[in-house]
Amino acid sequence: MCRKKRKISRRSFIGEASCAALGSTAFLSSALNLGMINTAAARPHIIGNPNDYKSMVCILLAGGADTHNVLVPTETSEYQDYLNTRSSLALDINANPPELLDLNYNNAGQTFAVHAGMPDVKTMFDNGDLAFIANIGTLIEPIADANDYFNGGNQLPLGLYSHSDQIMQWQTSVPQSRSAVGVGGRMADLLYDMNTLDNISMNISLDGRNRFQAGNTIVEYAINNTTSAQNIGFDGFPSWWSDQGFLSAVKDSAIGSMVEDNYANIFHETFGDLSRQNIQSNAIFETALANVTPLSTTFSPTRLSQDLKKIAEVMSVRSHLGANRQIFFTTFGGWDHHDNVLGNQAVMLPMLNDALNEFNDAMAELGIHDDVITFTISDFARTLTSNGNGSDHAWGGNQMIMGGPITGNTIYGEYPSLALNGPLNLSDRGRILPKVSVDEFYADIALWFGVSPNDLDYILPNLCNFYSTSGCPVDPPSGYTPLGMF
Amino acid sequence: MPRNTITLFALFWLLTYSIIGLGQIETYVLGQGNYQGTVIQSSHESGESQAVNTLSDDGFLPNLNAASRFLSQATLGHNYEDIEAVADMGIEDWIDAEIAKPVSFSLMDKVIEYHDYRRDSLNDPEAGQSIRFWDYAWWQYHMTSDDALRQRIAFALSEIMVISRFSGFGNESYAFASYYDIFMNHAFGNFRDLLQDVTYHPAMGNYLTYLNNPKSDTIEGTFPDENYAREVMQLFTIGLYELNNDGTPVLDTSGNAIPTYTNVEISEFSKIFTGLSWGDRTEFFKGALNDSSYLITMNMFDDYHEPGVKNLLNGFQVPDRNPVDGNADISNALDNLFAHQNVGPFISKILIQRLITSNPSPEYIDRVATVFNDNGMGVRGDMAATVKAILLDDEARRCENIDDINYGRLREPFIRYFQINKAFDASTLSGNYRNDMNYVQIFVQQKPNTSPSVFNFFQNDYQPIGPIEQGGFVAPEFQITNSQSITGYINGLYEWIIDENIADEYDLFSGEDNDGYADEISTIDISDEQMYADDAYLHQLIDRLNLILAHGLLTPMTEQVIIDAVKEFEQADADDLELRTKLAIYLVLSSPEYLIHR
Repeated sequence: MCRKKRKISRRSFIGEASCAALGSTAFLSSALNLGMINTAAARPHIIGNPNDYKSMVCILLAGGADTHNVLVPTETSEYQDYLNTRSSLALDINANPPELLDLNYNNAGQTFAVHAGMPDVKTMFDNGDLAFIANIGTLIEPIADANDYFNGGNQLPLGLYSHSDQIMQWQTSVPQSRSAVGVGGRMADLLYDMNTLDNISMNISLDGRNRFQAGNTIVEYAINNTTSAQNIGFDGFPSWWSDQGFLSAVKDSAIGSMVEDNYANIFHETFGDLSRQNIQSNAIFETALANVTPLSTTFSPTRLSQDLKKIAEVMSVRSHLGANRQIFFTTFGGWDHHDNVLGNQAVMLPMLNDALNEFNDAMAELGIHDDVITFTISDFARTLTSNGNGSDHAWGGNQMIMGGPITGNTIYGEYPSLALNGPLNLSDRGRILPKVSVDEFYADIALWFGVSPNDLDYILPNLCNFYSTSGCPVDPPSGYTPLGMF
Repeated sequence: MPRNTITLFALFWLLTYSIIGLGQIETYVLGQGNYQGTVIQSSHESGESQAVNTLSDDGFLPNLNAASRFLSQATLGHNYEDIEAVADMGIEDWIDAEIAKPVSFSLMDKVIEYHDYRRDSLNDPEAGQSIRFWDYAWWQYHMTSDDALRQRIAFALSEIMVISRFSGFGNESYAFASYYDIFMNHAFGNFRDLLQDVTYHPAMGNYLTYLNNPKSDTIEGTFPDENYAREVMQLFTIGLYELNNDGTPVLDTSGNAIPTYTNVEISEFSKIFTGLSWGDRTEFFKGALNDSSYLITMNMFDDYHEPGVKNLLNGFQVPDRNPVDGNADISNALDNLFAHQNVGPFISKILIQRLITSNPSPEYIDRVATVFNDNGMGVRGDMAATVKAILLDDEARRCENIDDINYGRLREPFIRYFQINKAFDASTLSGNYRNDMNYVQIFVQQKPNTSPSVFNFFQNDYQPIGPIEQGGFVAPEFQITNSQSITGYINGLYEWIIDENIADEYDLFSGEDNDGYADEISTIDISDEQMYADDAYLHQLIDRLNLILAHGLLTPMTEQVIIDAVKEFEQADADDLELRTKLAIYLVLSSPEYLIHR
């Protein structure tokens, strides 16, 4: 007979678990930071007034978008560098019909254009609803230039140029770890008390499970762009089968038992937790979505447009979800253009353009244009040189942020030289060292969203390597300041 | 119809909470013995089967529960008779018999058959193929062939050397069928041959963009595509870090893991994978000639292959061949990868994760990798020996592991669906099966070759938050477990079992007579269960389902929850008994004891 009892009490398990949680986030292990977590968790977050609503939408351009053809330098010598390096992948500034649309922007002689598939992005940029962040990428600490990089001594992100690592690091902002949770998750860990319903997550995903929205205590709630009050939850059961009183009794007794009793297998426990949250959230969502009024803004039939439409609808019933803060996430995949980058981008960038423009209109329609930001992230940018007619994995690139709260019509960060002998190029393939850290980008967003400056280290444990926040143990290097996007 | 006050929704609640929440202390037993042919007993008191070690000349024979547990590691699905067969034969004999079975079916032939059928029916020799041919061919193979272990390993390999419908050739049934045949053919062959066929297959060449990938052009400033160079290392052979034979990372003096390669090696390997194009073309840079182009291995065009020395892994150098010989370069490079010390532990661990447990011990990985490295006769990469080592290992077989709170894995949702078809003998009148599994994919976010990227449906190091992440463990299948797929699976169960829509079948061409394929529509058979659906025999019903689906791991509490629920329904006539049976199946398949395989 094989028989073995292994028993672990819930109380002792929780004790171990919370120790393990701290241990697994090694970057928080200093005594200073241990104190900080407690402080952060204890700090109440106040909702100023009934209209204090803020929301962010993260669009993951999965696969590593070739963003050096999204935002292109047009000043004569910089464009010549672009042309020389990108060769057959370069967009032609003189083409007719145009391949590039000039932005209404001039930074001490530096001028730029966007891909011609993005006319509304140009318009929104010109109107101040949209900004670019130039040469942004995953970093642990600043690296001055290619020489500094090759001299070694700098901490580098794990698995540079690899999809699985870089796509994760853009979502965690902890490039030295493969087990870190997400930036959006950590924000929700701290700010969950700004929302009034416990059983609905601050973080709502249109693309299932993702790292960005996973926190130490928060897990995302996933819907899809066809979710409605009519189809949410378990279907197929005639209404006469339902008995809410019975359901409630079962639930209450089971929850009561759970607190008192023992957990066993970790897979069982995890599945149970997910199922329980799911069932509770379904019930709340069903009620909320019944209040959706159709938007007059029309959305394209693409997946991204429909995802953003659903997000707008969920925002419109935020009061039924008890939500003063919301973090949305979706994925627009298919950007790994090792092949036919020009042809693929000519199809996909207009989809992105249209979806962003439609969503911007919908925010205005809902009266929350000044409360919502939308931004893109992507695994990495791509090699400047061609592999024939595509490009390969690289590092620093350009991203967009949109919405009323930001100062638009600006390019944050410094657009790099694209010459192969430029100071930031790391390879004969044209891989650009990023100069803006993902940390700096998220820091602005977190502060706007309501995270206390004292808690920024919890959200962005590497931020102190770039500039000082209230919690930094040692002085950071000079030369870095907040981006100031808001 | 009987009326009652309980809802399936509520029952799911109760199962979820009570089973997980109340957290049964794990005392359930799968004996290693039991006399062959023993019929499972009704177990009113405990839900446990009697487990008695029975040492025969063949060694330990598994009891029925242990046989069922083994089958849900070694197959994609099984029924009661399969359990009896394993219990009678013994596990090792069963494995040997499976390995000895020849490949019984060609997916490609079936696709061509469907294509011919369409051409003939439409009387149009130019009629095109349809991706549905591939879906139907896959399903036909798996419903009608008895090489269950081969099917299981092929499916696992399809989740390592991934191609996906979400690609430029996503509607090409020829591409998927002929590619999947590689896994069927090499499931028990040699890993080096597998790597060879995958590398030269135009579907992979297309998917990872090295088909029509030319050498460097210094004038144009173009370089070889790095896509395959990277992924063949990261995902198909060696992974990111130098590994000990037990799968743990080799550490440098500072305690850091050591990368297996840098961008320098990727650049060198990218030169290797240049010069390949369609096998039925005589010129480089041409497109596919027709559907059949996917049946022919890629052709090397030496004029487009990067000349010169290539510095690969572990100091190995591909010589500067003159004249250029791209195939020889590739052969050298695949040998270099195959010889790398990581391949054994890397591939062994992934296969263990798919078949047995998400967090195998280093000792387990070491034992299996040792067999991969040398099957005892000096052969490296023997897949049959590796598979056998995985399945026969103590850590797979010993029942004590079931009680280890960190042991097990979440059953892949597609495999749950497949198991329903097997457990309840899905059949058609004609023996031809149509199923494109589209709704399955919508419900559970998984079906063969539909992952979002080359990184599969889930990654092998995925950690859901909670005790798994806190303990430093992984649970890959949780990456596709979210509010959409949890709800979707429950709704799928309703569709497949209660609504009796077990398969998704459609016309093979516009205008096909629907009645013409009525005999290709699957139905499941629950008559063996339904005979126990009235109150007097309900325990037998639950015991039977417990055996087939959960290998005896349902707790007494879950059994009671299900019995109480079923008893809420009347038992006056056959329709009542059918509904009761369906409800019991639905609830067993919703239970955490079923969903978590231990």
